[in-house]
Amino acid sequence: MLTLTLKESLTVPLEAEILTPDVLAPLPHADVRALPVMLGKRQLRLDEMFTVEGEGSDDVEIRGDLTKVKWIGRNMTRGRVRVVGNVGMHVGAYMKGGSIEVTGNATDWVGGEMSGGIIHVRGNAGAQLGSAYRGSMSGISGGTILVEGSAGIEIGMRMKRGLIAVRGPVRDFAGLQMKGGTIVLMSGAEQRTGAWMQRGTIISLKPLKLMPTFATACVYNPSFMGLYAKHLASLGFALPHEAIAGGYQRHIGDAAVPGKGEILVWQPKLQLP
Amino acid sequence: MTCTLGEVKNRADFIIYWGGNPAECHPRHFTRYTLTQKGKFLPRGRKDRTMVLVDIRETMSAKAADIFLQVRPGKDFEMLTILRALVKGQTVSAEAAAETGLTLEQLQDLVNRMKAAKFGVLFFGMGLSMTRGKHMNSAAALILAAELNAYTKFVAMPMRGHGNVTGADVVMRYTFSYPFGISLTRGYPRFNPGEYSTIDLLVRGDNDATLVLGADPGATMPKPAIEHLTRTPTIVLDPKVTHTSRLARVHITTSVAGISAPGTAYRMDEVPMPLRPPLKSPYPSDEEVMKKIVAAVQKKPAWYPVTRTGAQVT
Repeated sequence: MLTLTLKESLTVPLEAEILTPDVLAPLPHADVRALPVMLGKRQLRLDEMFTVEGEGSDDVEIRGDLTKVKWIGRNMTRGRVRVVGNVGMHVGAYMKGGSIEVTGNATDWVGGEMSGGIIHVRGNAGAQLGSAYRGSMSGISGGTILVEGSAGIEIGMRMKRGLIAVRGPVRDFAGLQMKGGTIVLMSGAEQRTGAWMQRGTIISLKPLKLMPTFATACVYNPSFMGLYAKHLASLGFALPHEAIAGGYQRHIGDAAVPGKGEILVWQPKLQLP
Repeated sequence: MTCTLGEVKNRADFIIYWGGNPAECHPRHFTRYTLTQKGKFLPRGRKDRTMVLVDIRETMSAKAADIFLQVRPGKDFEMLTILRALVKGQTVSAEAAAETGLTLEQLQDLVNRMKAAKFGVLFFGMGLSMTRGKHMNSAAALILAAELNAYTKFVAMPMRGHGNVTGADVVMRYTFSYPFGISLTRGYPRFNPGEYSTIDLLVRGDNDATLVLGADPGATMPKPAIEHLTRTPTIVLDPKVTHTSRLARVHITTSVAGISAPGTAYRMDEVPMPLRPPLKSPYPSDEEVMKKIVAAVQKKPAWYPVTRTGAQVT
């Protein structure tokens, strides 16, 4: 077990992409302390910013007000990172395996272009959750992101595979230019959900304001709902029982692409025969 | 996909202005480049051209337009997305299309005209790029123009204003390969609007000093951004006292580019224009001040004395 505590709150962002089990686990205490971090434009040693306790380990706990600490868990393939408190941008970007838990809020670009592993945010997340970076063709291509609070704009932008589930409300452009994968919205979204989607599934348990380029299809209970609910429950993210067996209105689009994406909106009052 | 205004003047037979009011904001645009000029391939000038105005209200520019389409506020993205679908021959329901404030027939007519044009131009203004959806509204306009090239020649161009803003983009692009929203903190350029763009940096309070060159963020930016400018050292280079210089620690008066300082300004179509000043100014130009600052900064010791131990991750 390795515990890092941020010494003081930051005025400029600290870029600490070395805070992953892949880098930390093989190192003895002294080498962990000497790892480089970037405070603004200045390169510093890790122990100048953090109090380091313990040897390098696959279990890493990071404490303090990390709102301005960026790139935690970048490119990680194994191990567990637990962030006690809020975390800065790009947490779990390009992640391939392992798990990250954030007890507070996260900001933008959680799990950008990740391809495996799991990120669980107990508070709110920001914009571009599981999205593609600028100029990149695909966002998250595997793995799971769970958010207990709300999320910002453009979640799952250009996502290709994987699962994003958000318990709170999300803002505009959820699943923008989505190419595959699944987004579960438990408290709905603001507007332009699924804009320009090519493929993939957005499941909403609240009514949505849809784009005019979506066509309405049938009402049915998708057989994969039970499997997804079971999978999410095993990760500590339960869906309400009625929603698992309930009827869903299927919308297909976006005709502008033209795409074959689907938006499934739960119809709580509807009884399926 | 874009072009110069010279090409517009000589070739464009179909012109759309979207979310802008050129009659009042770019008063010479119609007469010099887009509408009334006779072009090489448009010998009858205005009679050879069709102009469409898309806006949320009937502005002065509507008088100059052949077709005025009044879109419901905040529905530009929806309208552009429907147009993209119609361009590809997809069906869109009339009820869904009605939420844009226009009928499906009007939109289909616009698509038919766009496809039938020999050379179409879509000029988009701040009514599109600064309303809800922001960069995605601009992206929708750009992608629509790009997709129309499957049928005809079609280009899109933003209606830039406020002096030499295009020049800033062009110079950043050929220097760092990105036009804006660039971070150089790691010694190489990184691009991420939303993370490194000015307003987002200031609102989050991620920077600890600001140098303002040829801009007045104190007059235009949101309150938290202005508060951060007040809190941290701000340096302004400007010929006159602006809102920003009132809240700045340092204001350096410079000469006015084009009037008392030479230089190059970029037109909205990214054509560089030399500036020949008619007057002399007692103040230094922005360039001279910046060169002095750079020379002084270079005399300071480098900030990389830390020995690199441990693993390096890129």
